[in-house]
Amino acid sequence: MSNPQLKAAVNALFCDKMPDFIITATGIHKTYDTGTVKVNALRGVDLTVERGEMVAIMGPSGCGKTTMLNCLSGLDEIDSGQVVIDGVILHDLPDDERSDYRARRMGFVFQLYNLLPVLSAVENVELPLLVSGSKPAESRKRSMDLLEMVGLSDRAQHLPGELSGGQRQRVTIARALVNQPSIVWADEPTGDLDSETASEIMDLMCQLNADNGQSFVLVTHSVDVGNRAHRIVRMRDGEIVDDGNGNGQTSGNL
Amino acid sequence: MEELFGLSMDIIMYVLLAAFLPVIAGVAVMAWRNRVMLKLGLRNIPRRKSQTALIVVGIMISTLIMAAAFGTGDSITFSIRKNAIDALGTIDEIIVSARADESDTIGSSNYFPLQRYEQLKVELADFEKIDGLAPGIGEFAPTINNRTQLSEGQMQITGVDPNSLEGFGRFNMTGGQEIRLENLGAKDAFINQEAADELDAVVGDELVTFVAGSSVAFTVQGVVDSGGLAGQGSTLLVRLDRAQEMFGREGMINSMAVSNLGGVFAGAEVSDDVTDSLRVLFADRAIATQLQTLLNRVEVLKQIELLRPTLGEELASDLSLLAEGLGELSMTDDFIGALADEDVQEEALNALNNAGLTEVESQASTLFAGLAEFRVLDVKKQVLDQADQAGSGVTSIFIIMGLFSIMVGVLLIFLIFVMLAAARRAEMGMARAVGAKRRHLVQMFIFEGTAYSVVSGAVGVVLGLGASSIIVFMVNRIFQSGGSGAPDNFTMFAHFELRSAIVAYCLGMVITLATVGISAYRVSRLNIVAAVRGLPPPIQTSETPFRTRLLAPLRAFSTPVSLGGSALWALVRLDISRGIGLLLRAVWAGLTSPLALFGAVFQALWVPMSHGWLTVVVGALLTWLGTTSDEAAPLRIGVTLVIIGVGLSIRTLAHRTGLQADIGDRIAYTFMGVVNLAFWVIPFRALRSIFGEIDGGIEMFFISGIAMVAAAVWTVMYNADLLLKVLTFVTGPFGQLRPVLVTAVAYPMSAKFRTGLTLAMFGLVIFTLIVMSILTEAFSTAVGDSERVAGGWDIQATVNFNTPIEDIRLAIDEKPSLNNVDIPSIGGYTTIPVETRQVGADEQRWQFYAVRAADDQFLREAGANLKMFDTEYGDTQEDIWNAVRADSNLVVVDSLVVPSRQGFANDELPFELEGIFYEDTEMEAIDIEVREPRTGQVIPLKVIGVLDRLTDAFGELGIGMLASREELDEAIPFRIPTTTYRFKAAEGVDVAQLSKDLESAFRENGMESDVLSELVDDIAEANRAFNYLFTSFMGLGLLVGIASLGVVSLRAVVERRQQIGVLRAIGYRRRMVQLSFLTESSFVVLMGTAIGVGLGTIISWNIVKDIQEEVETVRFAIPWIQIGIIVAIAYVFSLATTFLPARQASRIYPAEALRYE
Repeated sequence: MSNPQLKAAVNALFCDKMPDFIITATGIHKTYDTGTVKVNALRGVDLTVERGEMVAIMGPSGCGKTTMLNCLSGLDEIDSGQVVIDGVILHDLPDDERSDYRARRMGFVFQLYNLLPVLSAVENVELPLLVSGSKPAESRKRSMDLLEMVGLSDRAQHLPGELSGGQRQRVTIARALVNQPSIVWADEPTGDLDSETASEIMDLMCQLNADNGQSFVLVTHSVDVGNRAHRIVRMRDGEIVDDGNGNGQTSGNL
Repeated sequence: MEELFGLSMDIIMYVLLAAFLPVIAGVAVMAWRNRVMLKLGLRNIPRRKSQTALIVVGIMISTLIMAAAFGTGDSITFSIRKNAIDALGTIDEIIVSARADESDTIGSSNYFPLQRYEQLKVELADFEKIDGLAPGIGEFAPTINNRTQLSEGQMQITGVDPNSLEGFGRFNMTGGQEIRLENLGAKDAFINQEAADELDAVVGDELVTFVAGSSVAFTVQGVVDSGGLAGQGSTLLVRLDRAQEMFGREGMINSMAVSNLGGVFAGAEVSDDVTDSLRVLFADRAIATQLQTLLNRVEVLKQIELLRPTLGEELASDLSLLAEGLGELSMTDDFIGALADEDVQEEALNALNNAGLTEVESQASTLFAGLAEFRVLDVKKQVLDQADQAGSGVTSIFIIMGLFSIMVGVLLIFLIFVMLAAARRAEMGMARAVGAKRRHLVQMFIFEGTAYSVVSGAVGVVLGLGASSIIVFMVNRIFQSGGSGAPDNFTMFAHFELRSAIVAYCLGMVITLATVGISAYRVSRLNIVAAVRGLPPPIQTSETPFRTRLLAPLRAFSTPVSLGGSALWALVRLDISRGIGLLLRAVWAGLTSPLALFGAVFQALWVPMSHGWLTVVVGALLTWLGTTSDEAAPLRIGVTLVIIGVGLSIRTLAHRTGLQADIGDRIAYTFMGVVNLAFWVIPFRALRSIFGEIDGGIEMFFISGIAMVAAAVWTVMYNADLLLKVLTFVTGPFGQLRPVLVTAVAYPMSAKFRTGLTLAMFGLVIFTLIVMSILTEAFSTAVGDSERVAGGWDIQATVNFNTPIEDIRLAIDEKPSLNNVDIPSIGGYTTIPVETRQVGADEQRWQFYAVRAADDQFLREAGANLKMFDTEYGDTQEDIWNAVRADSNLVVVDSLVVPSRQGFANDELPFELEGIFYEDTEMEAIDIEVREPRTGQVIPLKVIGVLDRLTDAFGELGIGMLASREELDEAIPFRIPTTTYRFKAAEGVDVAQLSKDLESAFRENGMESDVLSELVDDIAEANRAFNYLFTSFMGLGLLVGIASLGVVSLRAVVERRQQIGVLRAIGYRRRMVQLSFLTESSFVVLMGTAIGVGLGTIISWNIVKDIQEEVETVRFAIPWIQIGIIVAIAYVFSLATTFLPARQASRIYPAEALRYE
């Protein structure tokens, strides 16, 4: 099947008869080759996430958590396997379309916030809207609403350098949600925060998940964070050892 | 090249080495003692190869420019020396008679009996510094090759005595074998290579030479190598007796050539000794005694003492010899030597004049004229000196032209280190946190900077050599195309002295290392916590109490003293190692104390300066200094400081009144920028009406360029957010562009210092190029105005003074190919070299100038081309010319001798009128005196008009004051044949054909004729070509501008890698990332270009308006095509340097970019 649209349509038709999976990943392999060393970061991973589900991926350092998140979200290429997001085979899309897809359908939260230091909080939040072509005035209004929701409307004009870690992470969350994505990817969202702030951030994410029905995929080391998720997927050495649905080694629930 | 800006090149080299070597040694010692920091510093270099390459390009530019300037200067010096040496060969001095009689002609040397040579030969037999003395006749005569019918109007005819050539080396055929002049028959001649080329002559050809209406034929016996007695221009060598016969001068000669002991170069070194000895020998002792008595007066001695410090070393010491000798009873050779020196004579007359002894002065003047029987011309030494001066002058011009680029290069070095520091902030913070001191960071940067500098300095010198070779190549092409005023046969050779390479290298290194040091110091002052955590640097508040700051200058002095004391005490206590350590520190502190003192004073004054009031005071003082001394630089810098001071005061006030800080800052900074900009763009005329007359040289162009661009960049940077809002509004409808624009403008605006520097660099470069282009255009159109330059004449022709045309009209009638009807007017003149001075002026030295003794027709047709005249002599320009025709004591001078208020320097002639400026519109007659150098006869003249500057194209077509020849004929004892003619062609006559017809009809008179409009076009073309050459040289700065943008983009891509990942994650397409970077660069390039083009155009307009007061035909015109090309080159290459890193950045996978730290 060379036509991605056709492929997506067939998938969508097929998926109709299945539970409502927003992410379906099968046999994902990813190897990093530095020239001298080869690292098998993912060794045939299968994973599904349902619409509105909050999944936490946990495991020891270097087990491939972040790599999996990057591969599933299309930030990185995969060597083999298939990732279907909401009926679309992600890695078959040309780079530009994948970028557009991210702009419209996905949100990202990173451990180090990764806000643009030269833009104010509200400008950071509205950037995804501008990228997906929203009108400036609408974008600004929506961004202010989001900042209001994360409790930072009074800091809208501040630069990231002038905000605390927790505040910056709230701005990141506002940015991740501003375009009403179906999926939010969060890589160690509380890794850089103290436990109290981390708990506040998790409250916020859980509430958003409950209110809007968006799917969340979190990578975390924190058991507290993991416990707040609907399901914990455990990884080791590039493989899923427990997908939280009672399935063991590398077996998904397909 | 021996000197630059009046300083000996040797001294410059030693000073630079003295500055550079200890610094390098110091860096080496530091590196040895602190190898960790050395490793840290050097490890950065290979990390990013393309960045290192760009840095090397940026840093080398200063060295390149200086090496190119020195290389060009060396090449000029070398080429003039080589051409001179090739021409003179073994001849070191030429002796000519100082006495003229009525048989002599203008243009030729005076004749004297051959017997005098025989006597001198005997008298000089024991003088060991002379190894050759040859009698000869040197004349010019038109010559035709009968076989080829080719002719040479100015063939040098040299008559030599085959038996007197000892010491002058061999005469070689071009094939190499020696020729024997003694075998030359009466009807035989040798010719040199140039003559052979010109006439296409070979052995056996018959050449016919025309002298005073008769002709003589010679058979070519051989072609000899040029140089020495065989001459440089086309030369015909004949036996002396044959030449005497030819010119009707049996038993007479008109020159003697002297060859000094030693070879071609070594001979010139003893030239002073030989010249002095010969002068003593030739002086009339009776007249010398009279002069000794006449000059021996207290007033004269006093005036000589006053004059001495104003003169060059050699002349001052000769004057001392004169002064000492005046009081003696007998006369020493030294005294006579000094008395016979023409420069000393000038000064003695000057002293008499200053003392008010005009009667004595005139007696002395007559005695001086009769003192020596012969004049000794130290031709070789003079040419070698001129070569040095020319080389040094050219180097100065190129260095001044290159100042902007050097300045931009310095800014780039600074920018590079600021950026490198920003990139390494976190690691430097870490280093500080684990115990590294500030000086360690400074050292780290200095190690890295020194490594870059050492390499790029070497590359710069090599490329500079290459650039100077290209310049030499281009200059040669300009020379060959004619119109440049360069002598025929002059060829430039690329040449480079090792000393120049050392100076260029050291100068470049000193500039670079100083900049590196300053930037390293700046970056070392980081806040550790902010650096480690990646927070913005906290606003620095004054840490040191005011009192400590005030005491700091004292500490700078006391530190070395107290260290020295401690060292002594330690030594007394026999604690040797501590003592020596302290002693070394004391010496170091002592050596650096001036620097420390400067820093301390600066620090102490910083707070009141930054509050504004002290800046206003300093500015006001400078302004006052400028107005009292009429100097533009302190005045304009002073006013600028006052404006900055007022701005700073506004800011201080705003802060105190509790106004929102950013609003107060915006008002204050915008005020400084806008008002300064307005002040610098005011037309000079308006400035003069406020401050009166002020003097400013070429340095003002440099200062005003920097000030204007700085003010403009300042204003833009402090108001860029407003600009941003406008841009965002404009691009509103273009959805995809908006996010691109948001990031593209936010980044440069968040790094204001970096962006401002880049903007300033680009602005400066474009500014200089635009000014050069517009001025080139303005002058080319003015000089190319042939109608005006040639005063309505169509053809200019010269004839040989040995074969003048008695009556040109009659002669034309006799030529079948010519018709007088075709030539309605013919004017003619003779140029007589004279010495001149102005009656009653401060300067009383006789200076070289020329009289153009013109015939009636020339003056009648001279046309309406006077800049100003004395209305006493008539109401119209025609009246003035009629007055000159009627009274040959009245003259009109050319514009070259009238100074300009704008410092349009008269570098063609040493003579300059006082009390009159070219910008004046009216004048009163000026009395001058003219002295005929051979007779010493003084003729009083009155200047009643000044020629327009464009007439004769700034002297390119002829110089000298115009006078009627009638009375001069009587006043000057020898014949004045007309040598220059101008012709006006009748309507419908083919001027080019007429010119050719004239040349061939009067071939026997040696006529060489040119169509004036073509000549003027050639001159304009040569001018334009030189200007393009300078523009391209200044364009080197563009290279720095482009390299700087490349460095900035490359750094930006590296620094923002992670952020690029974020942008890609939130949906930026690859092309949007690229576009964002390109837009960012475009913003800087376009803004810089706008500033450069705008300000360049305004200042050019000011300059052109100013020049129009002198030369109305200079037109302000913008050369759009050229400017378009400059802007396009700047834009395309800058974007290219941005495009590659941007493309690279956008190709990285977002996940990979996000992983990057």
